[in-house]
Amino acid sequence: MTLSLQLFLATGGILWLTGLYGLWRNSDPIRRIISLNIMGSGVFLVMVTLARRETSTDPVLHALVVTGLVVAVSATAFALRLAVASQQEKR
Amino acid sequence: MNAALVSMVVPFFAAMLVLMWRPRQQSWLVIVASIVSLLAAVMALLSVIDSGPQSLNLGGWESPLAIRFQLMPVNALLIVTTAVIHLIVVCFAASSHHCQPIKQAFWPLALLLHGSLVALWLSMDLFNWYVTLELLGLAAVALVTLAGQKALRAALDYLLLSLFASLTYLLGVVMLYGQYGTLDIALLATLTEADRVTQTALLLISAGLMLKAALWPLHLWLPAAHSSAPTPVSALLSALVVKAPLFILWLLWSRVAPSELAVPMGFWLALLGGGALLIGGWSACRTPHLKTLVAYSTVAQLGYGLLALGLLLHWQLNDLQAALWLFVVAHAMAKTSMFLAAGEIQAATGKKRLNSLRGMTLTMPVALFAFAVAGGSLIGLPPSGGFIAKWLLIQPMLIEPAYWPWALLVIIATLLSAAYVFRVVSQGFRQSSVSATASEHGKSAQWLALLPAILVWLMALFSEPLLQLMDVFSA
Repeated sequence: MTLSLQLFLATGGILWLTGLYGLWRNSDPIRRIISLNIMGSGVFLVMVTLARRETSTDPVLHALVVTGLVVAVSATAFALRLAVASQQEKR
Repeated sequence: MNAALVSMVVPFFAAMLVLMWRPRQQSWLVIVASIVSLLAAVMALLSVIDSGPQSLNLGGWESPLAIRFQLMPVNALLIVTTAVIHLIVVCFAASSHHCQPIKQAFWPLALLLHGSLVALWLSMDLFNWYVTLELLGLAAVALVTLAGQKALRAALDYLLLSLFASLTYLLGVVMLYGQYGTLDIALLATLTEADRVTQTALLLISAGLMLKAALWPLHLWLPAAHSSAPTPVSALLSALVVKAPLFILWLLWSRVAPSELAVPMGFWLALLGGGALLIGGWSACRTPHLKTLVAYSTVAQLGYGLLALGLLLHWQLNDLQAALWLFVVAHAMAKTSMFLAAGEIQAATGKKRLNSLRGMTLTMPVALFAFAVAGGSLIGLPPSGGFIAKWLLIQPMLIEPAYWPWALLVIIATLLSAAYVFRVVSQGFRQSSVSATASEHGKSAQWLALLPAILVWLMALFSEPLLQLMDVFSA
């Protein structure tokens, strides 16, 4: 594994941990949703990097990332709607 | 295999039909779909008993690329349980008056939940589990929101935790894929070695799954989410949804993990299971609210599952597999009954607190009886399904004196569960200050609440074939 790939892997890990920290420290729903998305980006970065390890890129991981993105987008949309609805209740 | 696929596809198809076509008689369509799914599930179970495990590669792809479905005795049993509970719960929702306002949205979501569960039981692929877990989580959260404004906060917390757990799970899965280049459980089982990466990956996956299954000490979201949901939803969540991650956890540690990692992990899992039993049971004895009590009882009872799983791994005893899955099935039935009965009582009195149960033996005898009968199985009174499972669990503990502390733990947990069940039942026998009259209101719903409790006691009559089924599997 080359140095640049290791750098990408480490970045993915750091993003994941940053998201984790954000989720733990924040109580505001919007901030927590953003933290989750940062965690997700970290995982996807790790996946895309692992796909580049060999000379031919691994299509399986790319397919998984696309599926993961679809899941992440729909889950985020749902979470945002819920966050808005629960804020309206407070007012 | 085909029957199992029918059992999975019918709920999905019916959900789409209800969503797009919006027929006038939705409840009948949903009930018919549930009956068809149940019949297909029973046929799948019979075929697995006849001809053994079957597997299917989706889309005809070959081994490393394929997403594989496998039908084994254990998941065939789980598919049947899922279908039975869904049928009872949709019948309850159709007949109970207080479920009227939530119906429109409840039908398609309940069907989606059913389909996702069956898909999860059938999958043997780490990534397909991620997808089905997400489907399950989204459907479950949407169902919780049906309780209205007051449940939104609990639903949002549930969703965020569930997404966080999914990402933790996904990171672990990616690490395993990076190491071994496959996502198939059977292939991974032949490849895994006890190295650092595998260990970290397995721990990440387990942490995510334990959070989703509300296994102690990651259970804090469960009482809020399950007790604020509408009654039929609480029943589905407590009975079925939390069992799905437990199934993955079991396959992962008993199949994929090398025994050098599984044996020490088993000890810790068993210890956490013990913690769940004691602390969940204690919280259930302390809470002033009826539905919260039932939710904490789920936390405690999941502890038995985790204890059985942990000891199964730690002692490498395959006999405990039967204990684990009988627990899951018995608890699913009993908890459905308990939540439906508790919800029906709560809707009738309009109060959440436990002391509103006074005089219930006169006004709602059937619902209270259902609660007591289901409680009997949770305590493990013979001859119920809960008793058989507990007996299987405790048997190996009694043989070896070094294992006796575990047996003591199970006994204390049994006393705690007896305490919280009697806490509810004894309230029902107290004199009420308000003059009570027996109401005809919701009679059929009360009888439906009793049905799963009776089924769990009937399990004892069929314990012989059930155990044989498990034996076929562990052989």
